[in-house]
Amino acid sequence: MVEIVFLIPFITGILAFFLSRNYGRALLVLTGVVHLVMSIFLWALRPSAMFPDYFAISPEGLLSLVVISLLFFLISIYCTSYLNAAEIHSEKMFIGCMLLFLSTMTMVTLSDHIMVMWIAIEATTLASAPLIYTHRTAASLEATWKYVLICSVGIAMALLGSVLITVSMDAGKVDALVSFSALTQVATRLDPLWLKAGFVFILVGYGTKMGLAPMHTWLPDAHSEAPSPASALLSGVLLNCAYLGIFKTNKIMFAAGLGDFSGMILMIFGLISILAAATYILKQTEYKRLLAYSSIENMGIIAFGTGVGGIGAYGAMICLIHHSLIKSSLFLTSGNILLGFGCKIIENIGELVTRMPRTFVSFFGGFVAISGFPPFGIFVGELLIIIGAFRAGYFIGAAIFMLSICVIFAGFANQIMKISFDESRTTHRIHATMNMIWPQYALLLTSVILSIWIPETLYRTILDAVTSIGGGI
Amino acid sequence: MIEPLDTILSLVLLSILFSFGSSLLPGLIEVIAFQGIVVSIVPLFLAHDMVPAGIAFTLVTLLIRGIIIPLCIYLAIKKIAIRREVEPIIGFHASILAGLALIVVATFVSRKFDVPSISASALLLPTTITLLVAGMFILIARRNAIAMVLGYIMMENGIYLVGTTFSIRALHIVEFGILLDVLAAVMIMAIILQNINHTFDDVDTALLRTLKE
Repeated sequence: MVEIVFLIPFITGILAFFLSRNYGRALLVLTGVVHLVMSIFLWALRPSAMFPDYFAISPEGLLSLVVISLLFFLISIYCTSYLNAAEIHSEKMFIGCMLLFLSTMTMVTLSDHIMVMWIAIEATTLASAPLIYTHRTAASLEATWKYVLICSVGIAMALLGSVLITVSMDAGKVDALVSFSALTQVATRLDPLWLKAGFVFILVGYGTKMGLAPMHTWLPDAHSEAPSPASALLSGVLLNCAYLGIFKTNKIMFAAGLGDFSGMILMIFGLISILAAATYILKQTEYKRLLAYSSIENMGIIAFGTGVGGIGAYGAMICLIHHSLIKSSLFLTSGNILLGFGCKIIENIGELVTRMPRTFVSFFGGFVAISGFPPFGIFVGELLIIIGAFRAGYFIGAAIFMLSICVIFAGFANQIMKISFDESRTTHRIHATMNMIWPQYALLLTSVILSIWIPETLYRTILDAVTSIGGGI
Repeated sequence: MIEPLDTILSLVLLSILFSFGSSLLPGLIEVIAFQGIVVSIVPLFLAHDMVPAGIAFTLVTLLIRGIIIPLCIYLAIKKIAIRREVEPIIGFHASILAGLALIVVATFVSRKFDVPSISASALLLPTTITLLVAGMFILIARRNAIAMVLGYIMMENGIYLVGTTFSIRALHIVEFGILLDVLAAVMIMAIILQNINHTFDDVDTALLRTLKE
């Protein structure tokens, strides 16, 4: 039953390569709806998998799955209008790859076997590479090349790390399945030295894909060159998928009593990422790259929160969910701006508030949300992480964290004000249709609702996920 | 006593040194193909029980690593008719010297590790470490995009060697998935290479410098 959720988009994805334009678009939305319904079923029923050695439902996987599903559904609706307005070279390729991308990401959230997880994450790279090259320009080609090469080499490291974990099983004379759930149960008997080595390689490997500095160099290029719906998927959910690999390995580390070791490394990588984002965000000249660096910042925040543990880990999960909602909304909005002004340079864009008022609302709302203002969820998440850091006594880490966030806010605000209110000489080309507006509003509204009221089942699932890495309220 | 396994592995080490010294792409591809074949037959010489499925899997690996992947790249460079130099950042003599030093260091380092399942061969751990680092070295020290892909394949060969020899719990279905992923990655890289050549008239990665801060 579980496997059907990623098999459906896989089949429709292949089908989309052979369909005409209109059928392809309908298929995209239809798959989005079916996928959303099935994800909700999985959430409610929690069935067992047909191949329990390879796939299983975990709380953290379910959280990511539902976020992926909701995002994909809204993005597919956005796509129906976006594809009319934008010049896309091969629409069949675009829609087919979007669906295959959805399939591979769903597979990541459901995989339990360590190697299957690797296969699925590498497959996300391969399925999304053609999306980045959609515009067929020299710059997008460069971005695709960097993306495929850096991510493949990075993920090769994660494969090595996965193998080292199986070596730790041999060294500890453990006979169990090579799956995350089985290893978490027998974690204390694994050989700690090989397990640590495996974790470091997996963190570097999946960290490359997640966009942790200093392995983040592919991320701004890929996010800025991909068409906006693809950027929204890349930033909103692909990064979460890579994080899931790290999270599950961290679970084994915590169960093995090596939580301090893994937490410290996660915090260091997290702080480096936040600092790197703060450095680059100040002098950004393109708004899509600006958003990409903000993603690096948020991934750093999530890694830091996970490393802090306790209430910080809960905060990291909150940040993870809300970052997906808000950042994908921002990337979709950036697609409207790009279509409206035909330019990615911040200097050439202005008067958004009068020229595209509805787009302005979602753009500015998204900026306020991602900067961590109430009533949006990032505020709650960051606050909990800071409280967690103070409780655990990481005062220097918390200080760097807060200072960098302030710098990032200043840099971000400066650019956003230019886009929103400065004068612009560029002529304005097209107006966004309703389908290119309300998905963003829906995403932001979801974020607001979830920060005011968390349903009991969601709260339980988040808590289930974070208690396994030493988190909790 | 010299084990047959060690003889095979010494061929892998030699292929690394040859690859560091290759100045032309076709030569480099041949070396990598040879390396792929040698690496994929290593499991046959291990003491683990060999079942028919295992042998069949080894043959498929050999086919993909030794023949299909190199052929795919060879056809890519044939089709785009580009300059055949690997455009080194670090010269060939220095590269070979670095390769020798790498083997020495890897041998030295591997004495510190104790992997229970590979005590049979003295060369296995040094070879895998050398392969991994050598692949990285080619990625960094060659500007030609195809040479970089070949470096990536060399790294993957190293990881394959770790996977099949260090750990005795290999599942063929899973390894097959990994193999397919690598194959697809190389094919996508080959497609991008053709496009890079089409757009820039060269595959020198120094041309790919427009996207930066």
